Amino acid sequence: MREITYLEAVREAMSQEMRKNDDVYILGEDIGVYGGAFGVTRGMIEEFGPERVRNTPISESGIAGAAVGSALTGMRPILELQFSDFITIAMDQMVNQAAKIRYMYGGKGKVPMVLRTPSGSGTGAAAQHSQSLEAWVTHIPGLKVVQPSTAYDAKGLLKAAMDDDNPVIFYEHKLLYKTSSDVPEEQYSLPLGKADVKREGSDVTIVATAIMVHRAQEAAEELEKEGISVEVIDPRTLVPLDEETIVKSVSKTGRVVVVHEAVKRGGYGGEIASMIAESEAFDYLDAPIKRLGGAPSPIPYNPELEKSHVPQVPDIIQAVKETLNKA
Amino acid sequence: MAEVKKLNVPEKITDDKLIDLYKQMWQIRFFDEKVDEFFAKGMIHGTTHLAVGQEASAAGVCALLDVEDKITSTHRGHGHCIAKGATADRMMAELFGRTTGYCKGKGGSMHIADVDMGNLGANGIVAGGIPLAVGSALTAQMKKKDYVTVCFFGDGASNEGSFHEAVNLASIWKLPVIFVCENNQYGMSGPVTEMVNVENIATRSEAYGIPGVVADGNDIVEMMNVTDEAVQRARNGEGPTLIEAKTYRWKGHSKSDAKKYRTREEEKEWRQKDPIKRFKEVLVEAGLLTEEKAEEIRLEVKKEIEDAVKFAEESPMPTADDLLTDVYA
Amino acid sequence: MAKEVFMPKLSSTMAVGTLLQWFKEEGETVEVGEPLFEIMTDKINIEVESYEEGVLLKRYYEVDEEIPVNAVIGYVGEAGEEVPEKAPAVDAEANADEEVETEVVETQSTQKDGASAQTEDGKVRATPAARRVARENEFDLASVVGTGPKGRIHEQDVVEAVGANKVFATPLAEKIANENGVDLREVTGTGSRGKIEKADVLAYMNGSSSSKKAEELEGERVKLKGLRKAVADKMVESTRSIPHVTLTSEVDMTKVIELRKALLPVVEAQTGYRLSFTEVIMKTVAHTLGNHPKVNASLVGDEIIMNKDVNIGLAVAVENGLIVPSVKQANKKGLAALTEVSKTLGAKARENKLTPDEMSGSTFTISNLGMYAIDGFTPIINPPETAILGVGRIVEKPVVVDGSVEVRPMMVLSLSFDHRAIDGAPAAAFLTELKESLEDPYSLLV
Repeated sequence: MREITYLEAVREAMSQEMRKNDDVYILGEDIGVYGGAFGVTRGMIEEFGPERVRNTPISESGIAGAAVGSALTGMRPILELQFSDFITIAMDQMVNQAAKIRYMYGGKGKVPMVLRTPSGSGTGAAAQHSQSLEAWVTHIPGLKVVQPSTAYDAKGLLKAAMDDDNPVIFYEHKLLYKTSSDVPEEQYSLPLGKADVKREGSDVTIVATAIMVHRAQEAAEELEKEGISVEVIDPRTLVPLDEETIVKSVSKTGRVVVVHEAVKRGGYGGEIASMIAESEAFDYLDAPIKRLGGAPSPIPYNPELEKSHVPQVPDIIQAVKETLNKA
Repeated sequence: MAEVKKLNVPEKITDDKLIDLYKQMWQIRFFDEKVDEFFAKGMIHGTTHLAVGQEASAAGVCALLDVEDKITSTHRGHGHCIAKGATADRMMAELFGRTTGYCKGKGGSMHIADVDMGNLGANGIVAGGIPLAVGSALTAQMKKKDYVTVCFFGDGASNEGSFHEAVNLASIWKLPVIFVCENNQYGMSGPVTEMVNVENIATRSEAYGIPGVVADGNDIVEMMNVTDEAVQRARNGEGPTLIEAKTYRWKGHSKSDAKKYRTREEEKEWRQKDPIKRFKEVLVEAGLLTEEKAEEIRLEVKKEIEDAVKFAEESPMPTADDLLTDVYA
Repeated sequence: MAKEVFMPKLSSTMAVGTLLQWFKEEGETVEVGEPLFEIMTDKINIEVESYEEGVLLKRYYEVDEEIPVNAVIGYVGEAGEEVPEKAPAVDAEANADEEVETEVVETQSTQKDGASAQTEDGKVRATPAARRVARENEFDLASVVGTGPKGRIHEQDVVEAVGANKVFATPLAEKIANENGVDLREVTGTGSRGKIEKADVLAYMNGSSSSKKAEELEGERVKLKGLRKAVADKMVESTRSIPHVTLTSEVDMTKVIELRKALLPVVEAQTGYRLSFTEVIMKTVAHTLGNHPKVNASLVGDEIIMNKDVNIGLAVAVENGLIVPSVKQANKKGLAALTEVSKTLGAKARENKLTPDEMSGSTFTISNLGMYAIDGFTPIINPPETAILGVGRIVEKPVVVDGSVEVRPMMVLSLSFDHRAIDGAPAAAFLTELKESLEDPYSLLV
């Protein structure tokens, strides 16, 4: 198998589907000859033309609504938002329209669309271009929310998202675009709602999302040297959430650290923690559930401050030890 | 029998269609008046927005549409639904929250949709449906389909960002969409004269390089004619048109509105411009309708609405089991 | 002022007591020293006398309930005095003294701020997992010293306090344990991280069939694993709890040898196995037990069970231990069948292939050391059985027969019995009849 980057995996997933299905098209700002803010669509307009790689004005509400309307009438649009922060502007269309149309209409009509958008900090883009706002959309029934952490997952999950008949918010992490993994050339689909155990262990479970999956794995390697066996679970999709895999793991280890980059307060980690507390895993918890997330401040510009805003490997190691009373 | 005068209406509007439209305007009026009565009596819950007095724009615009054509509507959308082919019984059932309603009782007044009939739905968000209409038009263009999409919205919505974003998108892509702004003079309590700094909202089209037309929204004949032109432009690939229908809602914004923001004199003045009465006079003068026949139609529709109420009342309620169905496809 | 009536702690290992009966009704007067209630501990039944005089105001527990040590089970005071509606929480300090004495030294260092797990309002700070283990073991958390922050009790703390181990077992091991009513907490696992595997359960079942807890193995602190551990536990349990008495008797085996010689080819032709003395002795024992049901009894809890069947356990030495497969209904089997079954079971035992059923149910055990230069010994009873027969070698000795000295093949039988269940006379009668039957094996045919 060959190795490609996360970014290439996303592009390949879209291109392969667009070759097969004329209803699939992509729209967004600067996705044409520019190739998108992060270069994900580079080369696509040359292959598919400006009709299907549709460069739009800077109108997040308008283009989100156009995507929803076209999905409702038979297309399968992929909407690229340059930065996930800009979902604030498209929010009405995603939350009040896309998510609710099917239900409001008594099951008539569907909105098969994918909103792809890069999120996360670490690029020095500061407060308005670095956020992780996925928890907002997880709160909305009718939306599905995907957060791949590897190139392999990105390609398979994006295929599943494009095949899904519901609006799917697909978060790509900017710092992961350049990471590589083995990715099959052919199309494949990874089911939405199936977590992946990235590493098996017996002492503590870490539930991590997006880039934190990588940091958790690094932490686990460090901890192994000290004889601490860590299981790392990547939910991959926040909605639907694979509760079973998480509950099973926590029941086994009795200890859990939930870690994401998004601000801890009101973050999706709270949902995961609550779910665990409400589940049968409760009776196996042998330490308080630990959450790690971003600091309660906007993302700062200064690189050191920016780094300290979000959990790093030593923070995860420390949290794991705290659950083991070894800190 | 008096001589029949040829009315100045679009070619596709037959004499029979004119009589149908007269009937349809009464359907819209009686439906909303009945809803008004039920809300007043507390027989249906939630809220509602009535289009009494605005029947001509809904009926006139939709008269030019085929089943394949689409509309998006607003919170004041009962008239648009009826004009696009919805039946009063299932609409009433929806307002009664019954499973036989267009949305199985889950949408209510503000969300009646009938996707099969090209009605992409009323919308509770001001200007929320405008980008959707653009998306629908984009589908027609990309799939090379012949249908047009009419987007109804109000004077208030024309101040929303998504209106401007959507009209801009439609204009640069020359999409087959007709923006119909029903200017009923008030966005809730806000008079259009205070909220918009141009005399005619239609002139906002100039900013996007598309035609803008001001029409008398209480004159169904004029509404049909301007719509006909816009539909033809759209079907010919010439892009969108913005139509402003000047009209007036007789009732308050929603069910509990003391209407302190306007005078009773103003209301009386607009009632003189009753679109149904005006259309009847035109039809009678043209020899297409008699006063007796007009009254017959009115009573017939009244009965029809009573039957719709009966249908709704006798329809089953959804059960708790229905709560979580249709959240996801 | 009303005084609490406590569940007394009657031994260092006693964690709970089972209420057997109340001697007083609520409202009845009670004198100091008068029996108030009777309990059963893991060792004994005992009547508990009142330390106070007055009226029994309240009884919080019913008969058959298991009650943690130091729990308030009632109040004695003056008539009409108010006492709590529900049993008060157990006072941790009163309970913690003796039991955790040895642990305190270790735990003080880990208890960073020295706080007790019990908060001021009497609630216990413990993790859900710790609470679960306590619940499963009906163990009072208040008596556990927590090693977590602020004295929080963790699962391991409870496990240690209960003296149980967290059970990691393979599904197969669990299944076998369930089917045979084995408490996995008492089985020592030999798999990775102490996981209990099928062989561990089988070894346990072979080594132990009662529910004694590991905590009773006082002084036994050598790390034992698997079968060895099971045998060790069993032996300790047996010798500790059973008052053994061993009787010996010498048997003239002349006729048995004749009999065996005659039947050897017959049995071999029929079964393919060689008839050994063990089977002849087993046959005789089984027959004799039929006449002595008291020696074929089991002692379980406080009941002596006269077993309906005669199932002879056959002690088999295997690598690193001892296994006792059971020859079912030995009294109804002929020598050919006994030979076949014994040989098969012996082979399976050595190959570790015995089924749980084949390893359980024996009512009397024979331990044959006749292949060694052993005359007599003191075999240890295989509980819940109440007797075991040790078989020594056959050796030619001069004996007096009818007034003259003759050389005869002699064999010593050693019968150990549980003096709780059997007295000396019936045991002696059994051994005597056994000896006579072996000296005249043809009597078995009568």
